[in-house]
Amino acid sequence: MPSRAPAADIRTFLRRLPLALAGAVVLWALARPIYAHALCAATQFLARVAEVPPASAVVLQGDDALLGRTDMRADSGWLKVPLVQIHFNLVPFLALALALPRPLAGGGWRRLLLALAVLAASHVLALLFQLKFLEAFSMGPWSQANYSDLARNVYGTLRYFFDIPVTFALPLLLWIGTYPQQVFALVGLGAPVRR
Amino acid sequence: MVTAFKAFLATPAGRFVGVYALVLSLSFLVLALRPVNDRIVNPYTTLVAREARLVLNLFGEGATVSKQVLSSPRFSVSIFNGCNGLEAILIFVSGVIAFPAPWRRKVLGIVLGFAAIQVFNVVRVVSLFYVGIFRPQWFSVSHIFVWQSLVIIFSVVLWLGWVRTYALAGARR
Repeated sequence: MPSRAPAADIRTFLRRLPLALAGAVVLWALARPIYAHALCAATQFLARVAEVPPASAVVLQGDDALLGRTDMRADSGWLKVPLVQIHFNLVPFLALALALPRPLAGGGWRRLLLALAVLAASHVLALLFQLKFLEAFSMGPWSQANYSDLARNVYGTLRYFFDIPVTFALPLLLWIGTYPQQVFALVGLGAPVRR
Repeated sequence: MVTAFKAFLATPAGRFVGVYALVLSLSFLVLALRPVNDRIVNPYTTLVAREARLVLNLFGEGATVSKQVLSSPRFSVSIFNGCNGLEAILIFVSGVIAFPAPWRRKVLGIVLGFAAIQVFNVVRVVSLFYVGIFRPQWFSVSHIFVWQSLVIIFSVVLWLGWVRTYALAGARR
C-alpha cells in the first residue's frame, strides 16, 4: 500500500500547472519554426538512408509537411501532414515536467534533455511512418510493386501506433520515467521531495 | 543494468510503471483491432456525438447526428478515433489499474473518471463546434494543439485527484 502523500505537494503541483503550461506553450512557440525544419530534414534523411535512388521527400510547407517522392509525377501521391499533430505533445510533457518541484535540480535538466530527445525521435518516426504508409498504400501500381502485403500491414500498424498511442501516452511515460522520485512522491509511492 | 531494472520493478513505484505501460500498450492495441473498432469504438464515438448534439440543441443549434458526423445548418464535424476521448480514458484507467489501491476504490475511480472524461469531451466537441462556426481559422489549432494537450493534462490531473481523494484515503485506514 502507498504511504500518504503530503496533500500540499499535489496542491503545489496543481497550482504550478497553469503557469508551467503557459511556459511550455511559449517555449514550443519559439522553438516550433526551427523544430519543424529539423523534423522534416531528419525524417527525409532517415527515409533515404537505405533507398536507391534516394527519392523520398519530406518538404516543409508552412505548418505542414508535404510527403511524397521526387521520382513520381509532381501531381501524384503527395500527402500533407499537419506537423502540429505530431509534435504538440511536447507541450503537455513540458508542462507536467515544469510543474514538478525542482525539475532541473540534481541532474534533472540532463534527464529532461534526454526525454526531449526521445520525444523528438518519436516525432521523426511518426512522420517517417506517415511517409511509408503513403508509399505502401497510395501510389497505385508503384505501391503494389514495391511493398508486400506484410510490409503494408506493418507500416499500417506502425502509423497507427505512432499516430495515437505514442502521441498520447509517451509524454506521460516520459514524465514518470524522467522524474520518478518527484512523481512517486507526489502520489505517495516514494519519499517527499524538497520543494 | 538488468539487475537494477529488476530491483526497480520489485518496488511499488516500479510495479506501477511496469503495469501502467503494459495495460496502456495492450489497451491501445486492442482498440486498433477491426472488430473492436467496429463494435465498440465507432458506436462509442456516435454516443459522444449524440451527447454533444444534446448540448448543442440546448443552445438551439438544431444539430443532428449521422454515425460519427455531427451537423447543424451552420457547421459540421466528423469525430474520429483520437478525438472521441478514448485516449484520455485509457490514460486515466491504466493509471488507476496500475496504482496499488483496493479494487473497490479502483472501480469507483474508473466509473467517476469515465463520467468526468465524458463531460470534458462533450465540452471539447461543443467548444470546437462553436470555434468552427465563429472562428473557423482557429479550428485546426484549437482541435489539435489546445484540446489534445488539455486532454493529456486533464487525464493526469484527474488521476492525481483520484489518488489523493480515494486511493490514499484507503491507504490511511
